[in-house]
Amino acid sequence: MFEFFFKYPRTVFQKGEFVFLSGWPGWLLIVLLVAAVAGLGWHLRRHLVGTGAAERVSPLRRGIALAIEAALLALLLFIAWHPAMRVATLRPQQNVIAVMVDTSKSMGLKESADTRLDKVQAALAGGMLDQIRGKFQVRLYGFSSQADRIEDPKQLTSTGAATRLGESLASVLQQTSTLPLGAVVVFTDGSDNLGSLDRGLMAELRQKKIPIHTVGVGRTEIPKDIEIVDVSVPTQALPGSRLNARVSLRQTGLTGQKAHLTIRDAGKILAARDIPLTASGQNVQTEEILFHSGEAGTRRLQVAIDPLPGEEVIGNNVLTRVVQVIPGRRRILYVEGEPRWEYKFIKRAADEDPTIRLVGLLRTTANKFYRQGIDNEQQLADGFPTKAVELFEYQALIIGTVEATFFTPAQQDLIKEFVNRRGGAALFLGGRHSFSEGGWGASAVAEILPVKLAAGTGTFHRSPVKVELTAQGRESLICRLDEEAAKNLERWGKMPDLADYQTTGEPKPGAVVLMNALLPGNRNTPMLVMQNYGRGRTLAMATGGSWRWRMRLDHKDVSHATFWQQLLRSMVSSTPDAITVTSDRPIYSDEQRVTLRAEVRTKTFEPANNATVAATITSDQGPTTVEMHPSPDQEGVYQVEWTAEKTGSYRVEVAAHRNEEDLGRGTLAFYREDGVAENFHPEQNRQLLERISEQTGGRYWPLEDSKKLPSELSFSEAGITTRESLDLWDMPILYFLALLLLSTGWLLRRTWGAI
Amino acid sequence: MKARMTTRRWLLASLVLLLVAPPLLVGLQRYGRGMQYEHDENPDTPNPEEETEYYFARLAYQQAPSGRRRWGQSWMTDSPAADRYFLQGVRRLTNIHARTKEEYVRPLDEKLFNFPWIYAVEVGHWFLSDQDAARLREYLLRGGFLVVDDFHGTQEWEIFLESITKVFPERPIVEIQLDDPVFHVLYDVDQKVQIPGIQFLRSGRTYEFDGVDPHWRGIYDDQGRLMVVINFDMDLGDAWEWADYPDYPEKWTALAYRFGINYIIYSMTH
Repeated sequence: MFEFFFKYPRTVFQKGEFVFLSGWPGWLLIVLLVAAVAGLGWHLRRHLVGTGAAERVSPLRRGIALAIEAALLALLLFIAWHPAMRVATLRPQQNVIAVMVDTSKSMGLKESADTRLDKVQAALAGGMLDQIRGKFQVRLYGFSSQADRIEDPKQLTSTGAATRLGESLASVLQQTSTLPLGAVVVFTDGSDNLGSLDRGLMAELRQKKIPIHTVGVGRTEIPKDIEIVDVSVPTQALPGSRLNARVSLRQTGLTGQKAHLTIRDAGKILAARDIPLTASGQNVQTEEILFHSGEAGTRRLQVAIDPLPGEEVIGNNVLTRVVQVIPGRRRILYVEGEPRWEYKFIKRAADEDPTIRLVGLLRTTANKFYRQGIDNEQQLADGFPTKAVELFEYQALIIGTVEATFFTPAQQDLIKEFVNRRGGAALFLGGRHSFSEGGWGASAVAEILPVKLAAGTGTFHRSPVKVELTAQGRESLICRLDEEAAKNLERWGKMPDLADYQTTGEPKPGAVVLMNALLPGNRNTPMLVMQNYGRGRTLAMATGGSWRWRMRLDHKDVSHATFWQQLLRSMVSSTPDAITVTSDRPIYSDEQRVTLRAEVRTKTFEPANNATVAATITSDQGPTTVEMHPSPDQEGVYQVEWTAEKTGSYRVEVAAHRNEEDLGRGTLAFYREDGVAENFHPEQNRQLLERISEQTGGRYWPLEDSKKLPSELSFSEAGITTRESLDLWDMPILYFLALLLLSTGWLLRRTWGAI
Repeated sequence: MKARMTTRRWLLASLVLLLVAPPLLVGLQRYGRGMQYEHDENPDTPNPEEETEYYFARLAYQQAPSGRRRWGQSWMTDSPAADRYFLQGVRRLTNIHARTKEEYVRPLDEKLFNFPWIYAVEVGHWFLSDQDAARLREYLLRGGFLVVDDFHGTQEWEIFLESITKVFPERPIVEIQLDDPVFHVLYDVDQKVQIPGIQFLRSGRTYEFDGVDPHWRGIYDDQGRLMVVINFDMDLGDAWEWADYPDYPEKWTALAYRFGINYIIYSMTH
């Protein structure tokens, strides 16, 4: 339609430069235009006075009539000045056009009778390729995870395990860098499932100024489909932990139906639930499913939704994740200023948890301490640690009812560093010497607390008080007494009162309140608050009376122990070790390149530079050791790229040494699988294709409307070009406009009477 | 004349009886309780209603229908002096936030579960109904801690056993070894020394009836933690009660304080 009115494709107007070819000066056009309008005005006025029509015709009508005649005159003058577009065009037969065809598995999807690739092959064979070859030399490529040159489109088969659209484009540009490449045409469904088309690559493509014309293949929406977009689970967990998998899913055409969501480990169902499908189209629905981590080892979890009736693509109903369940006990140091029931019952809960070792330092008299859970007689013999290397052996710290001055300023700084640098978790409990009552507000530790401490004393009350979960608390695994949200809330509603509470003050910005204490008069005060600080976390539990949950509930009820075990586990499970190993992906689907990253710290958790770091990667084929190299921009970080050729489970153990000193070890597990990536995003990603063409100066074409693509390829500034001036004076739109003005003027004269 | 003499004798006898009988009755009663001394006044209890972490909660049980004492209120023995003198020690010697005044609690009281540490005295005369026993069992399984004290000899042991086996028919009562943390949690107690009651001042014996040797016995839970501490053939209560009495040897009072405080701290840490 655009071309019908404007004679040339839109590209000409987008890329070209507007010029007048008459050679007459532009100012003359304006002067003539002004003079013509003035003359018309004078003529009109004279005519009206002469005919005595001045009284009959209103000023508005006179103005409209004048405007129409002036516009017509301006149009004629515009044409007389010989308007044109100056545009760069590719010289025929001197340029190369790269034609790329997606050969990934998703191109094999059948839509109506033919596959997507069949349709592309038909379009190319149906004249498009010949048209392009008529003007340019053509280089043909098939691509999926890499681009390969081919001679005939008939050679193409949709067998590629994954699509790396960005890297394939970059590869083609690289291969043709010595040729006069005029443009690139890409036939694809846009399913760039390995995500290689990042911002950097896009900038590089833009910089080359080579127009990339994308031809979209396939439906932009699958009529009935459900896809698991992402599953978020912790990569490491403690044995027997309750874990939360956040499952993001997207569906079309299935709103209102129920889907059955399961988590399996080696075929064994760990958890299952029915979910109603709500969000549709591009909206992502997020569901949570709780499961238990089980015993120590590597869990390969398959999160799946049972196929629903009418689903065409079911390969995207399953997503795999790896969780490393790490054996061993995490150590928590609990410092308590006086014997009290809270200590006893927290310790009991911790003792029942095989993953936690609670070490107690209890001040029984003014100067005597009772140590529990120690490994040897020297441990904590001098009281609270004064050296980082001693304190940082623990993953978490609990500070009970003890005044701030119990700790020296250096020890207070050490507590801060324990959280900030070591990445530990510190929990502060309520009590008669806690928070404001213990002078903590004026201490160095106040900065890391998740609450702003209220001024003054009188904040600790030995009065029974009920608690209520906040919205965040209802979502939190710490407060999950029952896996079903409604039953969990019901159980919390039946929890006995706490024995006491403390009003701490407002939560700090960024802190999350999980639980409030309900006070008389519909007031409440934060009870359980947590925040991230530095590399670690701090928590405040503003009571010393949760023991009442234990003594007031049946001895078979495990609410108290469950709550405390979950709280303590949450504290230690995300505390980093001296060596932490991560990979760039949770799972490698149709991807062989693995980037491993190790953050290495000393025993005092300072970044360890100049260390020798080696990663031993073990699979079914046996172990391989690779050296890791220091990251140039981050202290204490070491990286290595490695190729995992075979599918299956891999275990990585990173060992670091510096000057004969063993800095420790870190582990990681990952999984490689093939034939999965192409199951995801089966619909055409039109948005991505439009973005590529828009940013590179090309144009997006739906396959069915791409017949005119060959004629537009000429308009490019890349390759060997010539500048052409394309006349605009004969654009049909100008004559339609002139006709419109004339007919409107005539009609108005007839309607309003002679002017 | 004879009739007048008879009347006079009768009057005299009545007068003697009036003068002698009350002290005799009181004496007999005291003898029956093994106690011959009385406090002029009980220790002060400043801020008696203070809300604190720890309360000395005394178990108010029913009297056993058999045994030497079928009447009275054995559970009240030594109270409140023993409780208050002991609490003074707890407050002075430890960091425990303890109230100065005792609490009394029946097995079926709902408030029993507010006191994770309870003390029962003279359990050689106690009786627990099935309901009482079930409640006490639940209390102990939730994490409560029971200290029993001041009962002596075979007969009182049998009576104690009759009720405690209703609480835990399946759990053995065992001797607590000297290396158990309960003897070391604050004070190191390395010897099992018999602590006699106040009767020692009268009898010169540290034991009562046939309870010659003292026994520290206990009932443990499945995790090896003490739930019940049984002070058999000794009288910690008297040692606390007579802490301020010059004639009662300080060494036994001091030892009784150590045991008592260890029991509290043990129950708050295990």
